[in-house]
Amino acid sequence: MSSTKRYWQDLAELDGTSTVGKGSANEFPAPLAIDEMLADTGLTGATTGRRDFLKFLGFSLSAATLAACETPVIKSIPYVNKPEEITPGVANWYASTYYDGEDFASVLVKTREGRPIHVKGNPRFGINRDPKLNKGSINARINSSVITLYDNERLRGPVQGGAQHGWADADKAIAGELAKISAGGKRIVVLTGTVISPSVKAAIDVFKNKVGGTALAQKSDGLSVQVGSKVEHVQYDTISYAGVTGANAKSFGKRVFPGYDLTKADVLVGVGADFLSNWGSATEHTWQYATRRRPEEVTAAKPMSRHWQFETRMSLTGANADERHAVKPSQVPAVVLALHDAVAKKLGGTTAGASAIDADVDAAIARCADELVAAKGRSLVLCGSNDEGTQVLVNSLNSLLGSYGATIDLANHTWFHQGDDAAVQQLVKDMNAGNVGALLIANVNPAYTLPNAPEFKEGLKKVGLSVSFSGYADETASLCSWIAPDHHWLESWNDFLPKPGRYATAQPTIRPLFDTRQWPESLLKWSGVDTAYHTFIQDTWRNAMPGVTNFTLAWDQSVHDGVAPEYPLVPTAEAFIGNVSEAAAAAKKSAGGAGAWELELYTKEGIGNGLHANNPWLQEMPDPISKATWDNYVCMAPADLMELVGAKGFSDLYIGEQSPAYVVKVTVNGTALELPAIPQPGQAPKTIAVALGYGRGADGERVGRAACLRNDDGSAAPVGQNAYPWTRFADGATRYDAPNVTVEATGRTYPLALTQTQMTAMDRDSVVKETTFTVWALHEPKETYNEVEMLAVHEDVNHDGRIDARDKVPTTEVDLWAKQPVAEVGHRWGMSIDLNSCIGCGACVTACNSENNIPVVGKDQVRRSREMHWLRIDRYYSSDMTHAKGKAEGKGKIERYLEMEVPSAQPKVVFMPMLCQHCNHAPCETVCPVAATTHSNEGLNQMAYNRCIGTRYCANNCPYKVRRFNWFNYVTEDFGQVNPAWDELGRLVLNPDVVVRGRGVIEKCSLCVQQIQAGKLAAKKAGTPVKDGSIETACSAACGTGAIIFGDLNDKTSKVSAQAALERSYHALEEIGVQPNINYLAKVRNTPAEEAHHA
Amino acid sequence: MPLVPRISKSSPGLLNATLAFILSLSVTAASAQADKATYAAGEKVFKGNCASCHKPDKDMTGPALKGAKARWEGKGDIHAWIKNSQAVIKSGNPYANELFGKWNKSVMTPNAISDADIDAVLYYVDNFAPPVKAGGGGAAPAAEGPKMGKNTYWQWFLITALILLIVVLSLGGITHQLRNATLEREGKPTEPERSIWGRITNWAWNNKGWASVLGLFIVVWLILLAWDWAFEIGVYGGDKVAHYKPEQPIAFKHALHAGKDNLNINCQYCHSSAEKGRHAGIPSANVCMNCHKAVSEGSTTGTAEIAKIYDAVGWDGKNYTGKEKPIKWIKVHNLPDHVYFSHQQHVSVGKIECQKCHGPVDTEFDVAEQWAPLTMGWCIQCHNETEVQMAGNGYYDEIHRRLTETPMGNKELQKYLEDEKITVRELGGWECAKCHY
Repeated sequence: MSSTKRYWQDLAELDGTSTVGKGSANEFPAPLAIDEMLADTGLTGATTGRRDFLKFLGFSLSAATLAACETPVIKSIPYVNKPEEITPGVANWYASTYYDGEDFASVLVKTREGRPIHVKGNPRFGINRDPKLNKGSINARINSSVITLYDNERLRGPVQGGAQHGWADADKAIAGELAKISAGGKRIVVLTGTVISPSVKAAIDVFKNKVGGTALAQKSDGLSVQVGSKVEHVQYDTISYAGVTGANAKSFGKRVFPGYDLTKADVLVGVGADFLSNWGSATEHTWQYATRRRPEEVTAAKPMSRHWQFETRMSLTGANADERHAVKPSQVPAVVLALHDAVAKKLGGTTAGASAIDADVDAAIARCADELVAAKGRSLVLCGSNDEGTQVLVNSLNSLLGSYGATIDLANHTWFHQGDDAAVQQLVKDMNAGNVGALLIANVNPAYTLPNAPEFKEGLKKVGLSVSFSGYADETASLCSWIAPDHHWLESWNDFLPKPGRYATAQPTIRPLFDTRQWPESLLKWSGVDTAYHTFIQDTWRNAMPGVTNFTLAWDQSVHDGVAPEYPLVPTAEAFIGNVSEAAAAAKKSAGGAGAWELELYTKEGIGNGLHANNPWLQEMPDPISKATWDNYVCMAPADLMELVGAKGFSDLYIGEQSPAYVVKVTVNGTALELPAIPQPGQAPKTIAVALGYGRGADGERVGRAACLRNDDGSAAPVGQNAYPWTRFADGATRYDAPNVTVEATGRTYPLALTQTQMTAMDRDSVVKETTFTVWALHEPKETYNEVEMLAVHEDVNHDGRIDARDKVPTTEVDLWAKQPVAEVGHRWGMSIDLNSCIGCGACVTACNSENNIPVVGKDQVRRSREMHWLRIDRYYSSDMTHAKGKAEGKGKIERYLEMEVPSAQPKVVFMPMLCQHCNHAPCETVCPVAATTHSNEGLNQMAYNRCIGTRYCANNCPYKVRRFNWFNYVTEDFGQVNPAWDELGRLVLNPDVVVRGRGVIEKCSLCVQQIQAGKLAAKKAGTPVKDGSIETACSAACGTGAIIFGDLNDKTSKVSAQAALERSYHALEEIGVQPNINYLAKVRNTPAEEAHHA
Repeated sequence: MPLVPRISKSSPGLLNATLAFILSLSVTAASAQADKATYAAGEKVFKGNCASCHKPDKDMTGPALKGAKARWEGKGDIHAWIKNSQAVIKSGNPYANELFGKWNKSVMTPNAISDADIDAVLYYVDNFAPPVKAGGGGAAPAAEGPKMGKNTYWQWFLITALILLIVVLSLGGITHQLRNATLEREGKPTEPERSIWGRITNWAWNNKGWASVLGLFIVVWLILLAWDWAFEIGVYGGDKVAHYKPEQPIAFKHALHAGKDNLNINCQYCHSSAEKGRHAGIPSANVCMNCHKAVSEGSTTGTAEIAKIYDAVGWDGKNYTGKEKPIKWIKVHNLPDHVYFSHQQHVSVGKIECQKCHGPVDTEFDVAEQWAPLTMGWCIQCHNETEVQMAGNGYYDEIHRRLTETPMGNKELQKYLEDEKITVRELGGWECAKCHY
């Protein structure tokens, strides 16, 4: 009997209105067209059956696989006529000189089979050379400049109206136009950056003479003068020093930028001058500064220098200062005045009517003045202001202190920074008035950098013929009627006169890649002089070297060395002839009315004034202070930023992968920009600082690979924003400060890519150690500042009959592993890094990029902490909170830690280059499942890329976080916008001695093992032991201050083993006992004795 | 794949001896022993010092030397000239200056050889007799020897296997028939006649244990074969794989140029960067021209191949036209990626003979071929066995000093010396970053 019972889910089902179950018939609702497809008669008629199809598939798959197994045929094409100096696989080095209007350095260029791949300082010659260390000081911009040679956006030849032409066409058209304009009586202006090349000057003179129509008059000193030419040469510095040179004209009758000798300065005062980074002749200043900062080299006659800094933002120079005080830009004249008067009162000079600033700064100035006076004749005051009145006061101050003839040398002044802002402004006016017939622009980009760029652009339209010599169709060049592209500096012949009697030469290290021509040669051509520029330079020199009997020999020697024999002049004391009270009045006036906020504009260590913005290495190089990449931003005191955006605590300001930066709106004279804000400890309250040089190519100009990225739709995505419109022209000079700006919160955020997001060392003294000179000089047991890390052991070490927590031994004596034989056997490569000499400039980072083919990964990857730099520079700010202080105040652990994360408002700064420490007991080696990272018997922690399977255990186990993982194939088009090595041309910069790593492997510092191998081989061939100093890593070679020393720790005579034995020497994170082969030397600050006891 | 014999066992020694004998007969009886010695000594010195620029009977970079002694008679001291030509030129000797001018002012490198050697050379060139060309086919049939031997071995193996198979099958047939006979006698139905394959499957069905063991064995064996084969994919050279021997744009013969019995040019005359850098390098065409400026006709290919050099450098027989065309050689030795190998290290410091890795280039290679497998196993095997050339090298003296001066170093040294030599491996030759960076 079947059951008739029925069950319902609900009443609705009973009466048939329920929806339950109705869908079940339609469980796979999407009607598949299988039936239709099968019903298709065409298909049944197909001759290829399913099985056949699978057979074909299988066959083609296996055939393709097998075909791929075959080694491809590789051609090997030798030279037809091998140049004698080239041995395939062996690098050639050529001496040359770098000068771009901003930086100057004598350099060595490394070429491999005819292509330049690396640049380092010339260790034998040049003004940037430390004669004691035998090292040439350069910066990141100079050693990175090699990559722009292979920039695909460089112009291939002369361009008119966007179309490329041959030189014959260009020459005919331009020369014809010039002749017409000259005949028509209109002015022809050659607008250049500061020209320090005698031959370029001579070429301009020829141009003036032939095109402008005057005879050349030779003066007795070989220089030529002429008056009345229709051709006028105007020099324009992107970053102006017209205030400084103008002040020197007023004070000493010499419109020059002085030569400074920091090696003679016992007391060094910087007032807003970032002289270790970008101000003045920085490649010279850095090595000079460092010579007086090494405590071991201190003598009674040459004490450790004492460095004061008064400045608005935390600059690289300020970060290195012994004593630093934050002042607003408008207070800079007041600081100079106060310092001047305090010194004048003591030394009996004219006072200028100083007024009080604030209690702290006034007290500091008083102490500073005392020290300056005590070190009379051995002191130096440098001021970064571009106001002439202020600079006259500085000159007066230095004059009072007897610095002229000692630390300041006007006889051996520099020829840099000759730009005349007033002339440039006049030119813009003349252009707009239609008085300029032709404008020829070399090495500058006024349409981008002028404060009144729109006016310039307007004027440019009224100029009949405008020619740019730029290598790119940049902001200015793209508006010119012709672009006659110049060579890259590595393709150029050149000569320079950086200082009187100090000639330098530049030689090409590669044939011009494109159909470009050096711009002075173009000038000559258009003057009807058909001389190769190389010959022209030689002719100039032949005339300048009349006493030389064998010119060819002298010339060859100069080219070989990169400099001509020097004839420096004797430094002279200069009599100050300026008017102090007039200058004081001008200075006071220049300060301007103080608004609610003040702005300082600065140039970054990376891309500088913006002409390097197309350099991907520099864009990705973290700013030494903010550690930000790929952007400019507003630096603001943390307290100010908190108040502005309404943050509750410092941690709200944290910028990281998931925490974007607050965007603030800054308005200067009606020009507003919205920029991300960075909390910058050390920034003067109620001031902001913004970097120049960003936001290039915003109107779609092709300014170079990395300066302007592209969105997916091809539109321009400039890196950062252009702050040049905020500069202003006042009192005959361009000014980089604004006394009255408004800053508003926008409520928006913006992702910033920082490589270091934490600020302090969290009171851990085993990371960075520091002390004061007074403490160090006492030579007390080093434990007072360089504590040996101890570990409690289960042995009665102290022989008190008990085993307890007091039984401690140094961590170096405790080990999980058997002792590595490398400690005593064979070589043991190591490094010593002096935190005192390291100024944090980052030249080592970019040198490492260049040497080791380190990929550029772009902003988004950096933001995710995926930057690939093998070497980074950690920057630590001091915090007000320490464990000791917190305990004394009765604060709990969590509270203490939270407060330790907050840097002081005016912190001390330490830079610590961090790279693979090559631990003898490396934690990474023991966790690798495939033994891809192992230890060598020379102390190297080796990395075999082809063995690595990418587990990343090693990176996780590395206490120093120096291992980098290749998340992507960075040499593919996906990263083509930022990565130089992805295209055929950019690839030429790669170092053939180092593998390019692919996706999925870990990489890290190899201690330049390729150089070690090469150095050992050279020694073996010569049959001699490896000479100390003969092997250099890229970073140690790039370090102009000698902070990084590389060598053999087993060689008892080596510099590195001597440094390892110093009292200051320590290992980072010594307590974990990994026995690194890199040791650091504790930082020693030259702070007064009373502070010493706090340390 | 057929194996190419590595070193031909056949030696042209006998042939040479015969030739020498014939030669010696052609020389007059009076000048017998002593002159022959002078001739041989002169030939040795000539080939070592002069042959790169001079020929006895033809002009090359320098003049033909036959009769040079006579030409210099009364015009100056030929000994001084040969030792240091520039000094003689500077002394104002008119004939020297005339010669210098005539030969495009190419400077003859000073020779540090004795007067006796010079006399020997002059004797040799004056009495120079071109060697009789050796017959080409001599070596080929002999080379088949080892190959044949190996083939017979395989044949014997196959024959034995076939016989065994026949035995097994016929025995199987016998047992089948015997069993059938038994079954018939017992009145049971006999087993049906099966084909050979049927018998095998039947056996396998009845002996599943044995069949699966055998099957497993066969499968494992096949996998191993495939595995072994896979390792040879993309690998040329070595014992197991055919030597990579691509056809080159110019039929250059190493054996002819470098062979001891032929021109005997030092390897590094052409591959000069082997001792200077990482790459041995393919010589640029201007190096070829050092000799081929004079030698326009080859012994085997006539002018055809040498003309290709002329074409590359743009030589019209008298002058360089400037029309250069690089020669696109095919690269023979392709190292795996990620490895850095330095010739300099091995040639200059390790004093390794080129032939150790490149095979009998000088005696046997007509076309450049890859002789060694160039695998990492091959590299490190050599590093494991080879002794470091420490003697007289200040670098190693220092390393040795460091080993002897510390207790830990001494311990290490004792370990190294267990096999009574310090091998490359012991000084770190097996470490990753020595080659991979």
